[in-house]
Amino acid sequence: MFRRLLIANRGEIAVRIIRACRELGVESVAVYSDADARALHVALADRVVRIGAAAPLHSYLSTDAILGAARESGAEAVHPGYGFLAESHTFAAACTDAGLTFVGPPAHVIARLGSKIAARQAATRAGIPVVPGETPADQRDVTIADAARRIGFPVLIKPSEGGGGIGMKTVRDAASLPAAIAQARREAAAAFGDGTLYVERLIERPRHVEVQVLLDRHGHAVHLFERECSLQRRHQKIVEEAPSTALTPRLRARMGDAAVTLARSAGYLNAGTVEFLLEGAGDTARFYFLEMNTRLQVEHPVTELTTGVDIVRAQIAIAAGEPLPWSQDDLTQRGHAIEARVYAEDPSRNDLPQAGSLLLYREPTMPGVRVDSGVVEGSDISVHYDPLIAKLIAWADTREGARARAIAALRSYPVLGVRTNIAFLIALLEHPAFVSGDIDTGLVESQRAALLTSATGDPPPEAIAVATHASGSAGPLDSASSTSADPWTTLQGWRG
Amino acid sequence: MAEFEVTALGAGRYRVSDGTRQRLAYAAGPPHARWVFIDGHVYVIDVSGNRDSHTRRAHDDDMALASPMPATVASIHVSEGQAVSQGDLLVMLEAMKMELPIKAPRNGIVKAVACARGELVQPGVPLVELD
Repeated sequence: MFRRLLIANRGEIAVRIIRACRELGVESVAVYSDADARALHVALADRVVRIGAAAPLHSYLSTDAILGAARESGAEAVHPGYGFLAESHTFAAACTDAGLTFVGPPAHVIARLGSKIAARQAATRAGIPVVPGETPADQRDVTIADAARRIGFPVLIKPSEGGGGIGMKTVRDAASLPAAIAQARREAAAAFGDGTLYVERLIERPRHVEVQVLLDRHGHAVHLFERECSLQRRHQKIVEEAPSTALTPRLRARMGDAAVTLARSAGYLNAGTVEFLLEGAGDTARFYFLEMNTRLQVEHPVTELTTGVDIVRAQIAIAAGEPLPWSQDDLTQRGHAIEARVYAEDPSRNDLPQAGSLLLYREPTMPGVRVDSGVVEGSDISVHYDPLIAKLIAWADTREGARARAIAALRSYPVLGVRTNIAFLIALLEHPAFVSGDIDTGLVESQRAALLTSATGDPPPEAIAVATHASGSAGPLDSASSTSADPWTTLQGWRG
Repeated sequence: MAEFEVTALGAGRYRVSDGTRQRLAYAAGPPHARWVFIDGHVYVIDVSGNRDSHTRRAHDDDMALASPMPATVASIHVSEGQAVSQGDLLVMLEAMKMELPIKAPRNGIVKAVACARGELVQPGVPLVELD
């Protein structure tokens, strides 16, 4: 096992990895930007190294700064978390060249699977169905439009490099093509420095179901079953669960086998996720390979709670050369887990990210509830980074039990000083479509108005009574609050 | 309005009761923007009660005409002296890869444009003044 491991990330995932290190007896090294000097991950790590200015390019995205920190701290391994450099094959290669163990797959595998084109080819070679689509070699508007007509409407136009839904456009007819192509190209170039576009058939009412895999250096490969990630806003997941209500045991086994086959054939190592689009439900459903995420996923806890496997710990053990301690037959899914992502954002203003200080922040503690977070009361939510504050994960023996627990926990989760999507998440978990399990990737957007109505509203009389009563004392952070008035003076007018 | 009995429990916690049923609430923040949490919902309530309608309007204008976060001015759609109607686009900002429109909160005349294209603006500072 490693003596010391550097975490090239911040926020809740850095905290999550530090905790795994502590259990393994591995010293943790946190890196931080100027904006994060007082952040939770910096407080918890065994050693800390400042790596640069707040802007990610000068800190969490700077390979030089992070490798320098690894050298300075004497780390033997680097865990990239998710986001930032986690899917950068050049970063993985630079770690290896510097004599560090990269906790993830080999650089050349990241490079191959990171390209949608090469990943699809790998899937096709492994006999796994893919959604019809292509990246026209000739990238002129007219050729891309031809490809769209050949594939058949509706189509999705998206950046060849990239993910997270950035630059992704749905086009339902030829007339809307030119505007969509221009916009997708502009966003692709801005976000990824590469305007190359990819066109594919849009599967209507699809589910997004992904399979977690683990592969060690000794030729062992297992999957940890599926995660249902259909609830997304702006193509970003907000609620995930395991197992999926759409899978039968037979379909689950087929998808699990497909994921392991693909990972093996790609020479994959360590934890990875194979994403599928699912059309229909039950034994007759069809699944299509979407992409492989060559890193830890944000939503990994729902798999941990239903399989009992600590995925982060497994990642570190695999990187250290240890064999997987289980075979596929040892692994089972037990009960049901639901994760709700708590974001600093205002759902009534198009999910606009929010910044400010957490005047009051109390995480719920109750049986079957886990909160993975990177903040404490008094933390600043910065404009520089992803607005994810925490993930609340509820487990119970049944889906309905997990749903009730998640709602009860969210109702006991006060976050004041920065607007969050907590009320929106409650509305989503209470929506009849979620209750019945009949969900698809378009649900959140199609139901947005109804969800907002139930998540927002004028203060009830008891809230006004509390606000009035509290006037004498401005809360636990009164003295801090009087010095920097910005967050709430700007936020006050934001009730939509 | 029903009468509620509120008891401060310390550390921002309050018990609020209507005589029969009670709930736990949380509150923090200054009087003009008191944050209250009850049962999964958050409300921002002005309990300062010391504003006349004129200053309130100026205050509301400032809110509506300022960027909510550090942002770059992508484009300016009005000029000084121009009449605008409520909802008209005044300035388009860009932050975190998102477009952020600043719209007229009411009908009025543009008194001044206090930003320039490409400028990085800070929250709380009005970008346009309305007469």
